[in-house]
Amino acid sequence: MKARAYAAFTVNAFQSRLAYRSAVWSAAFGDLVFIFARIAIWVSVYGAATSTMTDGVTLPQAITYAIIAGPVLYWDFARLLHDVGTAIQTGDVAVYLLKPLHYPAFLLASHIGHFLFELLLVVLPVVVIAGLTYGMVPPASLFHALAFLGYWALSFMMLFALASLAGLAAFWLMTASALEWFLMSIMTLLSGGLVPLWLFPGWLAAIAGHLPFAWVSYYPAAVYLGRLDVSQTLLYFAIGLVWLAVLLGALAWLWTRARHRLIVQGG
Amino acid sequence: MALVRTLAVIPHLVRMFVRTKLEYPGALVLSWVSQAVSYGSMYTAIALIVARFGTLGGWSWSEIALLLSFHLLAYSTGASFSFTQFRVMEDLVRQGTMDALLVKPISTWTYLVFSGFNIGYAGHVALAIGLMGWALTQVEVTWSFPLALYFIATLVSGAMVVCALMTMIGATAMVFVRSRHLYSIFFGFWELARYPITIFPLPIQVLLLTAVPLGFISTVPVSVILGKPVPMLGDFAGLACVLAGPAMAGLAMLHWRWCLRNYQGAGG
Repeated sequence: MKARAYAAFTVNAFQSRLAYRSAVWSAAFGDLVFIFARIAIWVSVYGAATSTMTDGVTLPQAITYAIIAGPVLYWDFARLLHDVGTAIQTGDVAVYLLKPLHYPAFLLASHIGHFLFELLLVVLPVVVIAGLTYGMVPPASLFHALAFLGYWALSFMMLFALASLAGLAAFWLMTASALEWFLMSIMTLLSGGLVPLWLFPGWLAAIAGHLPFAWVSYYPAAVYLGRLDVSQTLLYFAIGLVWLAVLLGALAWLWTRARHRLIVQGG
Repeated sequence: MALVRTLAVIPHLVRMFVRTKLEYPGALVLSWVSQAVSYGSMYTAIALIVARFGTLGGWSWSEIALLLSFHLLAYSTGASFSFTQFRVMEDLVRQGTMDALLVKPISTWTYLVFSGFNIGYAGHVALAIGLMGWALTQVEVTWSFPLALYFIATLVSGAMVVCALMTMIGATAMVFVRSRHLYSIFFGFWELARYPITIFPLPIQVLLLTAVPLGFISTVPVSVILGKPVPMLGDFAGLACVLAGPAMAGLAMLHWRWCLRNYQGAGG
């Protein structure tokens, strides 16, 4: 019964986005321009380089990495933070406490709906157009293709957990906007969404490669390209699961603290 | 007389809004710091690419740093007069609040812009000035008084381009009710404008110099100052940078007036 209710939140979020059709084409166009900028960087630097390969990666692989690590894996977590921030500032979060639901689980269910909506109507068209324009390399092997799907699910959950943790911190700070900017700054540098970790200095790559942010963009895209062999793919997936368990545990703990911390102004 | 009255009201409008923001000093400072850190991260990522490959489109890191800082300073200056103000235009139209603004004894545009003058961009400005200060000591430019004046004029012109585009997007809500989604397109091109224009395919270069002229907030003026060639514009690039702002402001004024004439409210 409860699972069906949460599934309804997913469907509801998906359907609510259908009402804003003009936002779909403009978001797709904006994302397309955005990914073209990223690809243009790689075309430019590879074009000027003396070798066709940098750190064992060719230009088509770099372009594929940009497409996967960018629009495919890096979903719009700002919406989640905005939802939580608005609920706290308006006091609407109190309404969720009255309902027989778990607020973080509700957030997960509804943002799966948003994710699926954007995947189907924004991301896929962008990937098809960018892929047809610049070309994309296929997964390194069938194993890497299947492993990528597992890493993709892990990436979604990891970013959800990170964004939710930042969102719940708004119970104390009363603003989600600054938290969104902070999370964005960390993700920009450490997720590998813009710059793959193999281009980092060794010491920075070693640190970033063991922080949970790298499982959002870097590892899934690197697995797709076959940068990790079979044993490394499995090992890093296991490490990612441990990180996810830690983050979800922290999220559950923070939610119990936040519920008791809640102050609705004027009530 | 109306102009004098408007000019007298503007400082009061700004002061009122700034006071409301200063009521929450912790949130304001946190917002400044978080935004500056976010841009710093993005610039570090770009620096990592340039460090690995040597140049980006033939631009060294110090030249790229000047480009990024110019882009950020022109954007934040223009956006402080426009972005948050015009982002809510569709809400004003839909909720009917716009009707109340139209009957105020002051220009609606002036009221909107100055009653929401956004000091939240201070973090952007601080980072941009700091990075620009460093970059200017690193790049090879022979400074003179006219060049310094030109540099400032292009910055102002770039800020005007940003403000004009934001105004035009916001004004569109008066006719079509919805316009916020158009900012996604704006920010797509805004992202392009922080890189040297020469790294993009020709169609994107054309768009950045014509339909969405955000090339004039960064890459074109900085190319002119550094003596780098500007595609399509050639020797006209220098003058075009100064003219872009006023030209876009004129266009935005015409668009604003057309939208205002055709405004019917959200209910028809």
